Amino acid sequence: MAEHKTVKVKPARRGAEEIAEDTFSPLVDIHETDEELVLVAEVPGVEKDDISVQVDKGVLTLEAEARFDVPGEDYAQTYVSFQPGQFFRAFALSDEIDREKISASVSNGVLTVRLPKAASVKSRKIDIQVCD
Amino acid sequence: MAIFRWGSGFDPFAGFRQLQRELERLARPWARLGRRVGGGAYPPVNVYTSPTEVLVQCEVPGLEREDLDVNIAGETLTIKGVNRPVEGEESMKFIQRERGHGEFTRTIVLPDAVEAEKIEASLRDGILTVRLPKAAGAEARQIEIEA
Repeated sequence: MAEHKTVKVKPARRGAEEIAEDTFSPLVDIHETDEELVLVAEVPGVEKDDISVQVDKGVLTLEAEARFDVPGEDYAQTYVSFQPGQFFRAFALSDEIDREKISASVSNGVLTVRLPKAASVKSRKIDIQVCD
Repeated sequence: MAIFRWGSGFDPFAGFRQLQRELERLARPWARLGRRVGGGAYPPVNVYTSPTEVLVQCEVPGLEREDLDVNIAGETLTIKGVNRPVEGEESMKFIQRERGHGEFTRTIVLPDAVEAEKIEASLRDGILTVRLPKAAGAEARQIEIEA
């Protein structure tokens, strides 16, 4: 199992519309547990330092840059179906997410973002008292 | 002996193929509901050729070394892999599901004969790179034209 590296979650600097041009949208899986939402995004060719996960005004933005080596001039492009470039995707967060506690990690070109639910919205079993 | 050959030199359609993948995804939103890999051109590959070497890159995000199987038979390179399901996936509550899962095989017909013994493969950040040195006889040779 490859080591997971932690990615810092920072407040956003640029607007989503500005970055969304000229970028590729990574494929994502999102699943939910009682405690959190887990977002898994495919970002092949991206190193830890080239990922930024930001939260601003209830919008989670993922930005990443794939910088894998492209062979130099000695090589002819016989068949090319992917190239280095920018990944970008934004998600609106519900108020249920505790924004201070969002964490992210990357391993083997897969970014995992954990979005814990705020304590106030976690589902809670309510005891029913029987009144005789 | 390979029947189908790649073209050679500059490939003007490289950018279009990447764009096409993105557009297909937009045009077929239902494909997002549990896409299974195996059909179509998955995973994406790049093939570069130099006078001495063929270089193949393949996007395999999330796969470990053990999940991949790279084979060479003559001039045919086969990349097999499996996107392993995460533990307890059956009981997970998915809100969005776009990533592929399951097994895949991609067969790449190389443009030249290669030295099977000297092939090197490496995996980094979800990209598999296979370097295949060309066989001695396959290198390009200038032919003198006699007067």
